Amino acid sequence: MQLSYDYIVVGSGATGAIVANSLVEAGVNIAVLDVGVEDELYKEIIPNKDFISIRKEDENQQDYFLGKQFEGIPWETSKVGSQLTPPRNFLTQLTEKLIPFESDSFKPMESMAKGGLGGGWGLGCYEFSKPELDAIGLKESEMLPAYDAVANHIGVSGIKDDAAPYCLRDLKNVQPVSELEQNLSGVFTSYNKQKKNLNNKGIFVGRSALAVITKERDNRSAVQYKDMDFWSDTDKSSYRSWMTIDQLKGKSNFVYHKNCLVLKFKEHDLGVDVIVKRTDTSEEQIFSCKKLILSPGVLGTARIVIRSFDYKKEQLPVICNPYCYIPCLQWRMLGKEIEQKKTSLGQLVMYLDEKNDNFDVGMAALFSYRSLLLFKLIKETPLNYADARIIMQYLQSSFTIAGIHHPEKGSASKFIRMEQNANTYTGDILTGQYILSEQEIKTNESREKKIKSALNSLGCKPLKTIYTPHGGSIHYAGTLPFNDNGENFSIHSNGKLGGTKNVFVADGSGFKYLPAKGLTFTLMANAYNVAKNVLKNG
Amino acid sequence: MENKSVHIFEAERIGNYLLGINVQDSEKNTYADAMQKLNIQFSKYEQALWEKMIKSKSKMACIDAALAMKEPNNNVRRKLFTMLAILEASPNYTSYFLSRNFSFFYIFKIGLVGIRAVWRAAIGIFIINSIKRKCN
Ligand SMILES: Cc1cc2nc3c(=O)[nH]c(=O)nc-3n(C[C@H](O)[C@H](O)[C@H](O)COP(=O)(O)OP(=O)(O)OC[C@H]3O[C@@H](n4cnc5c(N)ncnc54)[C@H](O)[C@@H]3O)c2cc1C
Repeated sequence: MQLSYDYIVVGSGATGAIVANSLVEAGVNIAVLDVGVEDELYKEIIPNKDFISIRKEDENQQDYFLGKQFEGIPWETSKVGSQLTPPRNFLTQLTEKLIPFESDSFKPMESMAKGGLGGGWGLGCYEFSKPELDAIGLKESEMLPAYDAVANHIGVSGIKDDAAPYCLRDLKNVQPVSELEQNLSGVFTSYNKQKKNLNNKGIFVGRSALAVITKERDNRSAVQYKDMDFWSDTDKSSYRSWMTIDQLKGKSNFVYHKNCLVLKFKEHDLGVDVIVKRTDTSEEQIFSCKKLILSPGVLGTARIVIRSFDYKKEQLPVICNPYCYIPCLQWRMLGKEIEQKKTSLGQLVMYLDEKNDNFDVGMAALFSYRSLLLFKLIKETPLNYADARIIMQYLQSSFTIAGIHHPEKGSASKFIRMEQNANTYTGDILTGQYILSEQEIKTNESREKKIKSALNSLGCKPLKTIYTPHGGSIHYAGTLPFNDNGENFSIHSNGKLGGTKNVFVADGSGFKYLPAKGLTFTLMANAYNVAKNVLKNG
Repeated sequence: MENKSVHIFEAERIGNYLLGINVQDSEKNTYADAMQKLNIQFSKYEQALWEKMIKSKSKMACIDAALAMKEPNNNVRRKLFTMLAILEASPNYTSYFLSRNFSFFYIFKIGLVGIRAVWRAAIGIFIINSIKRKCN
């Protein structure tokens, strides 16, 4: 097996896939090292049909809707990954064993999968505003062309409406927006009628920009409105990071090594050694390269960097958007039949921009409820199951769920810490603490109140606010904050890891601030720029 | 084998409680398979509740209603919940779960079902309290 490459990329997720693609396009010789868990159980058994047809016809649907071990019938919902459907469970497989994380106040989700969390993300794309990019530590002039390049690669659909300043901005290469489902079109119509009043309060509603294609390209078909978005990727209309990896596998200058858990790196005069523990044999293996690009996700990078610097610093800051969701009852949809052809993705987004400066904006992504199956909703009611079923069958078309993300920055009470522990696979364990200040909690509550009031005026009556534990937003950043002084445990704005000559970081570890809007599109654009800088650097 | 026949019997009872019909063998078998895999364990109190529930459909409804309010994560409800999921993910019973156009007057049925649920919970609370006393 070849163990030496010009460039090694760690991780095949949202950022790793983009770095790998950019380097392969530049014609250099690269390898991706990844644990690379794949779905072996479900991919082949989910029919390429729409949700309703499957529900009415497929005798084997229990296998994937409930899971072969019935893991899709969630009883304890506090477990990390319990919100994933059985066919998406592979995303978090092996994480407890290989990369354990222990904390009472912080419950992050991580992935060891080919494609990483980018194999199951909700596809919401947001081009950040200048003030947001400044606060993160990124230059707008460098990010704008990178956003365009990434959009071109992954395929983004959307429309320039009131939401455009918060997501699309002047993005080029945008495909036409997907069709809006009935549940949300009532909300949108209502917004358009009361727009002036709502805009005065800082509320703006518009169509989401999504990494879903509406026109066929690159062996991917246009969205088929099968409403199976949480279960399968049969038509490949939604961008998943593993698609890039599969595409690259055919190229002569690209190698994908799975079963490789990267432990640490060691720099020497000729380049970098990458120390790997193979997950198939548990043996150690050493790869070498001229330049190493880390993109195993923010917590993964923290582990590798702390080990590589011999645990000299064990505690690092971390940022994660606070998240809660609000089931609402939309009267106008009561007792209606839900259309057969639709998608389950968040197609409408509400932004709360009180100061009208596109900074510290609150965000609520709106979803309807169907394809996650009614029994999970029935469980949330305080009624007996038999009666709850009758009531929920009637109400289900009128549920609109608002998922609220808050903007977030770091503080001394938000950190992760690496502890050595001989009982784990890697000899150490990540722990952490995530506590918001009284003031932060108050600010978030006030934002939620305003969003709830706006939802109410759009005909969506909020029923209750469900807070997920910190970590539940699945947006992580800020462990090695951007800093151009080259200090250890920081990242230069060109992506180079402080204290090293040839190690770069392409994930969100450097981001000093997290806007409420999803960060992944920006992560990918930054990864694109890091790849360019790596190449510039020789 | 003996366990399986117990589970098949449970499935029949629960299915009848949840949908008001006799469910098919395929769903009963899936329930038995699920029970084997999930291996739900009962405490003494839960066992006593379960024995009452399995004897009569109306007691099952009342105890479920009371637990939904007071102890939603009680393990006896996990059995009911598992069967509910199995029935939903079966092409034979989709009409009980998928949305459809209801007439305006259906809202009165919903109101009555709501009242029945509260009534069931009130009786159920009485039953579970008496079982709790016996178990202590
Ligand atoms: C259900 C869900 C919905 C989401 N929705 C959205 C959304 O709508 N919008 C949005 O912006 N974001 C969303 N996200 C978040 C998004 O998925 C992440 O921000 C993004 O995937 C992070 O990219 P990454 O490259 O940093 O990490 P990941 O995508 O997680 O990739 C990490 C990769 O590194 C590998 N790896 C890790 N450690 C090691 C190691 N030591 N050695 C070797 N390989 C390693 C893993 O195998 C994996 O391939 C969502 C996430 C989930 C799970």
